[in-house]
Amino acid sequence: MSSGTFTMPLGPVHVALEEPVYFHLTVEGETVRRVELTSGHVHRGMEAMATQRSLIKNTTLTERVCSLCSNSHSFTYCMAVENVLGIDIPERARYLRVLAEEIKRVASHLFNTAIQAHIIGFKSLFMHVMEVREMMQDIKETVYGNRMNLASNCIGGVKCDVDNELLQYIVKMIAKVEPAVEEIREIYETNSMVLGRTKGLGLLPREDAVRLGVVGPVARGSGVPVDVRKDSPYAAYPELEFKSFLEEGCCIHSRTKVRLNEIFESFKLIRQCCERVPQGAVVAPMRQIRTAEACARTEAPRGEVFYYIRTNGTDMPARLKWRVPSYMNWEALGVMMRDCKVADVALITNSIDPCVSCTER
Amino acid sequence: MSDTLLAILHMCIFPGGLFALAVSFFFKGLDRRVEARLQRRVGPPLVQPWLDLAKLLTKETLIPRTACRPAFLLAPVFGFTGMAVCAAFIPIPGVFQGLFNMGDLLVIFYLLPIPAMALMLGGSASSSPFGAVGFSREMLLMLAYETPLLMILLSVAMLVGKGLAGGAWGAEFSLLKIVAWQQQTGSLGFNPAMIPALLAYLIFLPGTMGVAPFDIPEAETEIIEGPLLEYGGPLLALFQITSALKTFVVLGLGVALFFPGTISDLWPVNLIWFVLKCLALMLLSLTLVKSATGRFRIDQAFRFYVTVPTALALCSLILVWVM
Repeated sequence: MSSGTFTMPLGPVHVALEEPVYFHLTVEGETVRRVELTSGHVHRGMEAMATQRSLIKNTTLTERVCSLCSNSHSFTYCMAVENVLGIDIPERARYLRVLAEEIKRVASHLFNTAIQAHIIGFKSLFMHVMEVREMMQDIKETVYGNRMNLASNCIGGVKCDVDNELLQYIVKMIAKVEPAVEEIREIYETNSMVLGRTKGLGLLPREDAVRLGVVGPVARGSGVPVDVRKDSPYAAYPELEFKSFLEEGCCIHSRTKVRLNEIFESFKLIRQCCERVPQGAVVAPMRQIRTAEACARTEAPRGEVFYYIRTNGTDMPARLKWRVPSYMNWEALGVMMRDCKVADVALITNSIDPCVSCTER
Repeated sequence: MSDTLLAILHMCIFPGGLFALAVSFFFKGLDRRVEARLQRRVGPPLVQPWLDLAKLLTKETLIPRTACRPAFLLAPVFGFTGMAVCAAFIPIPGVFQGLFNMGDLLVIFYLLPIPAMALMLGGSASSSPFGAVGFSREMLLMLAYETPLLMILLSVAMLVGKGLAGGAWGAEFSLLKIVAWQQQTGSLGFNPAMIPALLAYLIFLPGTMGVAPFDIPEAETEIIEGPLLEYGGPLLALFQITSALKTFVVLGLGVALFFPGTISDLWPVNLIWFVLKCLALMLLSLTLVKSATGRFRIDQAFRFYVTVPTALALCSLILVWVM
């Protein structure tokens, strides 16, 4: 370390980070010369806990891995269990699962966008975006009874049916949220203050994105077309029309743009689900547990979630293992933060939408 | 003896000290309230700044073990003293002439950066790396906004100097005479040549007060309050009081420079009129700007200050010179 540099500890508790991560920054003036990341502050031993609970109870456990993408975890877990047991879920359940997933995606993307405004000190914009997100929270609360953990998935289908009245309510609310999000998208794309802080910063070139195997909006913001919903369609996605957005900017702004554009695709998906959801049962019966292994993957708001399960004939899994998107995107921070300013560290971290509790579980 | 006593009274009670504190805490409460309403929140009660102060005063004073103790303790006192003295020099048109009738633009120009310096001193004495980053940011920002301020003051001084000298070359730095001249010939804020300078002053305000988009030295989400990070309890309260006094000083200076008109011969009416003018200035240049912007990066802020307000102030300076 040369004499011109000094060490700056950022975290593990820091106002701009919602979850504990520790950045050991070597700083020269305002320029960051080296970043070392330390995590593991919120390890809860969830994978071990999963092997001590029955398959059914684990649906509840996996939902609590993370709050913002809680639905994706139980969704993927249920898919993995259905694969291992060979359960075919009813048509209606496939649509209802997509419905819950997309509602969560909109709320999650709006949350991340709001936090970006908070980090650049734009309090009014933060409040504005959070206010719009609150409408999505209202939808969740009205339909599922909860604001964060929807508890909508269960092995073999979905736990609670969403009746026609609620489906109409969702469509009505989406019609209200959409113009508000349109306004937000316009602000993020034209406001010089936001652009000045996000455009051309935190660069992750395409080659690095491919090399590091980043997923989700981070990959799509660097022009890498990965989206599990398109690559290996699951649930009702093969029957629904939507686009997967790509941005070539490779910067913080492109990732925000990908997220904001995806929100509109989610609205489309929610509408299609509400219109096309077929009548019928919502849950398939449980089957005999065999000794087998299986995996499943879905596209969570932050990228690909992967679950692996091995059963040994008992009602408790012999092994349950999952890989979350933030784990893949984490390493990209080193590339993004190369020679950045101290002022941009939090902004860059937020641009990968890190989910620390998922990653450390 | 009586002069000294009078000076102390002016610094501690009116217009500096208690009066300035009451006015700017009222402004601060209102500012938070208006900002909250603009964001569709309810906002804290108007007395919140007083409650905050009371809470801080009851807290323990903690000094980091690695800090430079004397500098750490003295920095807030240094800033407070500077501002208390400076507040006494601010004339309130129709009510108070400024301490010993000698409110001088150059004295105020030298006293104004003291709170920023105190912040820099405290930040570097706290031995925290965030304080060090805050120090360098505060220094850069100060260099950037002091240049337009000097030009604004010069253009006012030259305009009034020329007016007093009957068109000949001259400069008048006495705030008292500047106010008196304006009361006779009309406020400078309505003089076309001074409008760029007024705009530059409005832009200077958020920078010197360290509010968005120029809250860079104390950026919460970047360097967790920077220099103020290690301060707590009464010492932090002193920094807050200093900042409040500074609000009074810069708003009062703005009124004295651009809109010193009075509406009555009664001093209470003039006092209320002065407070209202300060309030309008604050809502326009601090509250509205704050709720409509995010934070600049320090290099962006520096570039902004050495271009926009400097050009505006220079514009006024040249207009005054050629007219």
